[in-house]
Amino acid sequence: MLALAVAAGEAFLASSLRRVQVAESAAFARDQLRQSVRRVQMPGPRGRIFDRNGLCLADNRPSYCIAYYVEELRQRGPWIRTIDAVDADIDRLAGVLGVPRQLSRASVSNHVLFSLPMPLLAWRDVGQETLARWAEAQESFPGVDVYVQPERAYPQGTLAAHVVGYVRRDRPLPLPGERFHFYLPEMFGTNGVERQYNALLTGHSGGQLIRVDARGYKHAVWEGDPAVAGRDLYLTLDANVQRALERALKGWRGAGVVLDPRNGEVLALASSPAYDPNDFVPSISAGQWRRLLSDEALPLVNRAIQGRYAPGSTFKPVTAIAALLRPGFDPEETYPCEGVFVLGTMRLRCWNTYGHGPVALRKGIEQSCNSYFCHLGQTVGYEAICEQARLLGLGQKTGLDLPSENAGLLPDAAQKERSGGGRWRPGDTCHLAIGQGQLLTTPLQMAALTAAFANGGTLVRPFLARYERQPEKVRELGWPTQALARVREGMRDVAALGTGRRVQVRGVEVAAKTGTAEYDSGGVRRKNTWVTAFAPFAQPSVAVAIVVENGESGGLTVAPMVREVLVAALGEAPPVPGEASPVTEPLPLGGD
Amino acid sequence: MKAWLLRFRQLNPVLLASMVGLCVLGVLFVYSACSVREDPELRLLYMRHAEVAVAGLVAYLLCAWCNYRSLLKGIWPFYAATVGLLVLVPFIGEETMGARRWLFGIQPSELAKLAVILALAWLYGRRGARRGPAAFFLTLVIVGVPGLLILLQPDLGTAMVLVPTTLAMLYAANVAPRLYWTSVAAGVAVAAAVLGAVYAAERVEMPQERRETLLRATGLRRHQLNRLQVFLFPDKDLHGRGYNRRQSEIAVGSGGTWGKGYLKGEQYLLGYLPPSVSSNDFIFAVLAEEAGFAGSLTVLLLFLGLLWPGLWVAYRCQDDMGRLFCVGVVALIFSHMFINIAMTIGIMPITGLPLPFISYGRTFMLTLMVALGLVQSVSIHGREAETRF
Repeated sequence: MLALAVAAGEAFLASSLRRVQVAESAAFARDQLRQSVRRVQMPGPRGRIFDRNGLCLADNRPSYCIAYYVEELRQRGPWIRTIDAVDADIDRLAGVLGVPRQLSRASVSNHVLFSLPMPLLAWRDVGQETLARWAEAQESFPGVDVYVQPERAYPQGTLAAHVVGYVRRDRPLPLPGERFHFYLPEMFGTNGVERQYNALLTGHSGGQLIRVDARGYKHAVWEGDPAVAGRDLYLTLDANVQRALERALKGWRGAGVVLDPRNGEVLALASSPAYDPNDFVPSISAGQWRRLLSDEALPLVNRAIQGRYAPGSTFKPVTAIAALLRPGFDPEETYPCEGVFVLGTMRLRCWNTYGHGPVALRKGIEQSCNSYFCHLGQTVGYEAICEQARLLGLGQKTGLDLPSENAGLLPDAAQKERSGGGRWRPGDTCHLAIGQGQLLTTPLQMAALTAAFANGGTLVRPFLARYERQPEKVRELGWPTQALARVREGMRDVAALGTGRRVQVRGVEVAAKTGTAEYDSGGVRRKNTWVTAFAPFAQPSVAVAIVVENGESGGLTVAPMVREVLVAALGEAPPVPGEASPVTEPLPLGGD
Repeated sequence: MKAWLLRFRQLNPVLLASMVGLCVLGVLFVYSACSVREDPELRLLYMRHAEVAVAGLVAYLLCAWCNYRSLLKGIWPFYAATVGLLVLVPFIGEETMGARRWLFGIQPSELAKLAVILALAWLYGRRGARRGPAAFFLTLVIVGVPGLLILLQPDLGTAMVLVPTTLAMLYAANVAPRLYWTSVAAGVAVAAAVLGAVYAAERVEMPQERRETLLRATGLRRHQLNRLQVFLFPDKDLHGRGYNRRQSEIAVGSGGTWGKGYLKGEQYLLGYLPPSVSSNDFIFAVLAEEAGFAGSLTVLLLFLGLLWPGLWVAYRCQDDMGRLFCVGVVALIFSHMFINIAMTIGIMPITGLPLPFISYGRTFMLTLMVALGLVQSVSIHGREAETRF
């Protein structure tokens, strides 16, 4: 009986051991790997960003950090001793290097408890002098070393800041179910194309397998897959045009967009004032960030795609084309401008107090006569104008490859009632016809709209990434050639004879439209001043829209800016005394 | 010289070889388990183990060549001394991890195991021993006094291991069969009730106070309850209370058929198997990880090499005293081996019972070698007629 019990016991143990060690061995081996092997992500260098001529807008530079390898400072006993030791050592090193501490005690303890095998970056992005001091003191600081990590750099400073955006470093979220895995902080695009094309720029992170013991100390490193650099991004921007645009806007609050009307490439896109993306590297200080946020000039806002402005008279070509499309409309029919347009009880002043006299369509555009366009509005009705505005993309996002684009606002009767404004009145039609009232557009929308008049009636989708996007036609507007030609000629007259004479560029025939939209800002009448333009007239390769807040007038304030941009984009012929020959072929792209 | 050799030829070779084999494994794997310790003294723990093995072997041979019958006559002073030491432990013993178990560098509770076996063997083995209910209750006293003192240390494992040992001896002595089986049934019922209470406290919806009351009614201490809970619900608290069980299971399981190789066990090397237990209670996990199923089976066979001849010696013995003693030693070793290996792979609750000859633990090792030496003595002298006694 006892012998039986012994035999049974032994047999039971043997079979249990067989189950655990032979049958289920693989599962236990896997469990062991899972608890002792950690995958550490090694970010690949981020892709660079270039303009269309290969000028680098966002680069990587080596950033030298002073790093603690905490496990080499490991102390016996509870964790708090190791934390204390590292903390004290950082203080000591701070004294030797002569730089203030960057790390709080809390972050040291956080690192020791949660990311032990990773280097603890005590000073990030240190200068040459600090590195030299470090090299001298190195001997007496075991467990401390220089750690090089790629850091973002924007060699052109504020140039195209709103397009390029900036990056932020952050610890990536661990994949679900990977509680114990560690990651080095990675760069994330937070704004601009850095954010829009983050996936492309980031590339594939490599991994390293680290074997850790039960207390989290690194035991061995196994080779993992190497990091793969992110892909470079080539933009449609032309740095020369961009620079000209930014220089023109300098000192003003405003924005401008330059498009190639043939395909929708964005040649320049600027918002003023701008910020320096280098301030965000390696991380922006709290004070700096607060200053940027509280600045009432709103430097962080990209006015070119987020600013909502009444287009004013630059909208008039839309009213004009809507009228021309109406059967039986006679563009030669004149309307007598007496300096004021009376509609019931409403009196709407024309900017020329004395009146323009009898005005037909072409002169109406050239002189930007409000009375004439109010009359047109009443003639064709707001539905027709809205229809054309909608077809031209107002009230919708253009689909540019930048985050946070604004759609603006295209008012109609239904919208007005929804927003509690009451019934649509004839006066609203009048306001719409001259680009005032509820209508709000972004500079980008106006540039795309101008591009449609420039390229013969095709709304193109603007884009920034040269090889990631294809030129795309949003729609053919199907305007009769005759009608379009009348509007274009009107715009050419604006530049040649009318309000927009200051856009003229020697050797290039320019078409333009100025605009001055009044708005009420806290009881003060302010003006948003606009110019939209395209050139060369016969075969346009540039369409521009610029808005300046609180300017004098479109013709005075903005037209010279447009001229500078056009000169940068198309070049200007040398002055020939007494002769101005119209050049229809675009000149070779010139320098500044 | 020739006489010496003759004396060695008297020894049961399987018993001796198995024991030496287990001791060699013990030294090897205590070395491996302690090789990662930082304290140089702890790294030399295998040397202490080897020293005790050698000293134990000397004691073993001395016991083997003595006649156990004359030794057994001196049992009561030994028993009394052991109980005396156990009484002293709570007052002047060294405290480690919430329990007082050591006195003058030895663990009296280990001596008590041998003392109880010897006492019972003497009680039922002498001529004309009575085996009625009165003797049964006397047994309860003989086992109960040291048992209770050990429980108070507290050391539930050692106290509990006395139960199967006593039961095996009583069975072999055929003491009061009806009372015996009734007690066994009652014991099983109590054990089932305790387990059931712990299970119910976890799984059945009830207010917190009633849960506490129920757990207190089992009469177990907090850490003992924890171990039962870990046993019943192994996946509940893998990073806390269930950690050791889980890690030892991973160690054994990941060893596979042939093991990872000597000194290559990752569980203790990386510290997942806590170093404080890897050299004693969980030494089998170290061995099974490094030597695999092959190694585990070798250990089981070596133990069989102790248990089987032990029972054979008992069977061949002429007098009850020797027979009962052998049965007691076999039951003691078997219980330790079974409980220890079973807890390592999670099929028994965790108790601090060492694996005989392999776990580091000097008092227990010495005690067992003396016990096995006496079994050899029974093997040599037990076949002689008792008339000479």
